[in-house]
Amino acid sequence: MLNRLKSAFVSRSELVEHVATVADWLEPASPGVFVGGQEAAEERLKQLDPQAYCRSRNFLDGKVTRLSPYIRHGILTLDQVRNTALDKVSKAAQIEKFIQELAWRDYWQRVYYRHPEYIWQDIENYKTGLAADDYADQLPEDIASGSTGVACIDQFIAELLDSGYLHNHARMYVAAYVVHWRRVKWQAGAKWFLHHLLDGDPASNNLSWQWVASTFSNKPYIFNLENVRKYAHPGINTHSAENKVLNASYDELNARLFPIERGAL
Amino acid sequence: MSQLVWLHEDALNMDHPVLRRAGRDALVCFVWDDRYLQQMDYGFKRLVFIYETLCQMPLQIYRGDTVEVLSELAADQRTDSIHIPSTPNPVLQAIATRLQQRMNVETVEDAPFVRLNHDPDVKRFFRYWNKARKSALQHAGGRQE
Repeated sequence: MLNRLKSAFVSRSELVEHVATVADWLEPASPGVFVGGQEAAEERLKQLDPQAYCRSRNFLDGKVTRLSPYIRHGILTLDQVRNTALDKVSKAAQIEKFIQELAWRDYWQRVYYRHPEYIWQDIENYKTGLAADDYADQLPEDIASGSTGVACIDQFIAELLDSGYLHNHARMYVAAYVVHWRRVKWQAGAKWFLHHLLDGDPASNNLSWQWVASTFSNKPYIFNLENVRKYAHPGINTHSAENKVLNASYDELNARLFPIERGAL
Repeated sequence: MSQLVWLHEDALNMDHPVLRRAGRDALVCFVWDDRYLQQMDYGFKRLVFIYETLCQMPLQIYRGDTVEVLSELAADQRTDSIHIPSTPNPVLQAIATRLQQRMNVETVEDAPFVRLNHDPDVKRFFRYWNKARKSALQHAGGRQE
């Protein structure tokens, strides 16, 4: 017996109520900040400013494109986005950084095709002086709920839970905090992000967590409060007293977070 | 007899080459498979996003086990084959493998982002980028070599 589902609704809230009935294993919530569908995707594509992206993408209030949920589900293709971006400039070199970021997604997909086992297994050892067993299996509750006591990290987590989206730089900060400050396995963090991110993709998400963890890169990625201050906007709390564990130089943090490698003694 | 297309969550796009391959009369469907969605562990917001996308597409949404639903639709359509967009997702690939025991499965690739003569080394991004850069910076990835 075929069970055909309805696809016409008078309002978005009626649609959301319907999803609650066909996803009855989940607690209903408000929809995310993105509207689904081709129309919304093309509207956002029209507003794409690849040169502004290249100038400001690392800043938490920079002109990022917010195309990722649409690309993730194939609503827009990388080819289409690249072609649209090229049509907006006279020379491809002006937007090379933007196209390179699209290439990251293409690269992650190729890795996924070639090595599906890389999605959940450590690709290499951690280069932190620690073994995989030194990291916790489970995500601590205070991280899951955004009550770590580290002010900027809690703000980023609140944004993730509330909107289903997070700026890439903030994702890297949270991932580094989870893996290196809290010594939690990247897999636990990756699973948590995949649940909440509207654009969460097993390849882009998990392989980026491996990159931060150093199991798919040559060294662990860390940051400090000074770096957050450089890229944050005034809405992010970067007071030293409320972000104590981040307020140190890179040398101090490396010494504090990573034991001296046995070989180096 | 008309053709059957299964659009899964990695390719929610009516411009996907799979639709040209299947032809204009093809029945296009999405399967809302509770077990699959639970396995992927998507949150509620994501499911709203996916459903909202589906509602704007000229396709039919069915709820049930993917293989069972598609087998029944194939029987209704009097066809013994199905067209599927290519995906790296092993869970979806496993479903396609189960379908293969019941019908012919044709997977179709999307338009490529870059055109490369050889599969690049994927050990590190910049090994790939050195090979892919030239093509990536051109409209449609440049001319087919």
